[in-house]
Amino acid sequence: MSTEATARVDVRDGPGGGAVLTLRGPLDVETTAAARADVAARLAARRPASLEVDASGIDRGDMSGMSLIYELAEGRLVPGVRATVKGLRPEFQTLLSAFPSGEALSGLEAAPRRGRFLDQVGAATVSVLADGRAQLAFIGAIVQGFAAVVRRPRAMRWGELAVVFEKAGVNALPIVSLISLLMGLVLAFEGAQTLEMFGAQIFVANGIGIVMIREFSPIFTAIIFAGRSGSAFAAEIGTMKVNQELDALETMGLDPVRFLVVQRVLAGTLLMPVLAAYSMVAGVFGGILVMFTMGFTFSQIWTQLSGAVGVHDVLVGVSKSFVFGAIIAGLGCLRGMQTKEGPNAVGDSTTRAVVAGILMIIIVDAIYSVVTYVLHI
Amino acid sequence: MSAAPVAISVEGVTIAYGEKVIQRGLTFGVRRGEVFVILGGSGCGKSSLLNAMIGLHRPTMGRILFGGDDIVTAEGADRLRLLRKFGVMYQSGALFGSMTVLENVRLPLDEFTDLGAAEKDLVAAAKLNLVGLLAAAGQKPSALSGGMQKRAGIARAMSLDPGILFLDEPSAGLDPITSAGLDKTIRELSRGLGITFVVVTHELQSIYAIADRCVMLDARTKTMIAEGKPADLRDHSDNPYVRQFFLRQAEPAAAGSKGSQSS
Repeated sequence: MSTEATARVDVRDGPGGGAVLTLRGPLDVETTAAARADVAARLAARRPASLEVDASGIDRGDMSGMSLIYELAEGRLVPGVRATVKGLRPEFQTLLSAFPSGEALSGLEAAPRRGRFLDQVGAATVSVLADGRAQLAFIGAIVQGFAAVVRRPRAMRWGELAVVFEKAGVNALPIVSLISLLMGLVLAFEGAQTLEMFGAQIFVANGIGIVMIREFSPIFTAIIFAGRSGSAFAAEIGTMKVNQELDALETMGLDPVRFLVVQRVLAGTLLMPVLAAYSMVAGVFGGILVMFTMGFTFSQIWTQLSGAVGVHDVLVGVSKSFVFGAIIAGLGCLRGMQTKEGPNAVGDSTTRAVVAGILMIIIVDAIYSVVTYVLHI
Repeated sequence: MSAAPVAISVEGVTIAYGEKVIQRGLTFGVRRGEVFVILGGSGCGKSSLLNAMIGLHRPTMGRILFGGDDIVTAEGADRLRLLRKFGVMYQSGALFGSMTVLENVRLPLDEFTDLGAAEKDLVAAAKLNLVGLLAAAGQKPSALSGGMQKRAGIARAMSLDPGILFLDEPSAGLDPITSAGLDKTIRELSRGLGITFVVVTHELQSIYAIADRCVMLDARTKTMIAEGKPADLRDHSDNPYVRQFFLRQAEPAAAGSKGSQSS
């Protein structure tokens, strides 16, 4: 951009112990950093009582260049010495006048204030409580939405329900199959190693049956659902929020919860048990495959499995999945509707939906475990 | 002004998306130091032309020269050198949401200059002061109004003091006073510093206030239909559509067809 590489800097003695600084040539974005270092070094050596800047030789300049003149004139480069600037061309004076006053800058340069620790803890607590309240209010809104649909089934957008079933359900089957099958395989191999020491490898069937059906299938399916669909719900609704589509719904007199959330929560609640049941079959099948390699026959495995796993185990697993489905879908939609403005907003909502979904799954699962233990289910 | 050398030369440019031609046969020159406005009705390809001129969209034909270098074919270091010659303010401001307004304006200085941190802050603050946004320097873009985001976008475009500034719909979304202030700033920067402006807009008041010359694109003929000073085009153009545009008159053909439908 520059035809000349550097600005020329010269300092000579001025009247009354002062100095005269002469700047010549280009003083722009390319040359200013070097010129500034040069000026600072020369003036530091002299420590003048006063300073005059002869700027008449500056033939090309921009705001980066004028920042040096500004710093000299404001006494920022040589503390306590405000330079008198002479000979600056009118067009450069226009640029110089754009620089803000020292007062405005001092506000700008103040260190960003971070709240004190207790303030931050307080703010975080208020935020958590506000979020809890928002979740409760949202549950209320969903119940209202469901009530509206029950009173008037046409109010449900059934077409969208089918789309959610396909996207969140049918399209998830391959990944659910793979993960469940592999989990069954891994469980069987790990269990077999330990049980082999006692010659009790047949009990691998018990382990696979109980663990897959009561715990792993519901949990892993829920995690997959949170990652694939909870995030998608948050992103879809979040994008609509950013595009003011939710505002449009409200001003049309349509309840966004009834319009967007009810079918997603219903789909999640109905889909999850089906996916979990499918995962149970796939996982147990994976375990059975491993047991075949150990020399057990299908009838041996089946007898062991049917003895170890009861209908109540299946019911525990499936009933968990109902709850997981509702939680993940609901949280995904809630986070979507809570989307703020800005380019990161949808991404933040998606992350929050997945994290909150998985956290709630684990919490609810722990509660289930305690309750089923106490009730001997 | 007429003696000023050409800063940007658009020669025989055709812009298309796939098979769909948006504009063809565009030939004009932007002179150094002038405010050049690209105007035309909605959907005529103004922003597409701007994108071609700043190297974001490759024309299917033609050349776009900055002082002899063609941005259409430039690659690698040549392209980077060309990109440093101009700054761009996008329609939405296109500020980086994770940074404060000041950091947005300072980013090009951080990346491309050796200035110290305090100097970079100073220069960035001066740019923000120019667009009347210094008070919002520490805020995130999401906290700004649409108009303020545009102004911050202009400040960022000016960060490295480029010789050419491209502004895409700068005054859209701004109140009349801010818009007039922005027009004044554009004039001052153009007059005082000789910055060349290429502005895409269809705001008539802004066009009259800032434009030295303009080129008008037409969606129907898919080419430029006028080039010159706005007042001359308004008063002396042979093309009725051009006069209609400058006099802000409704489409007569459309009014007629509505009338025939209703009768």
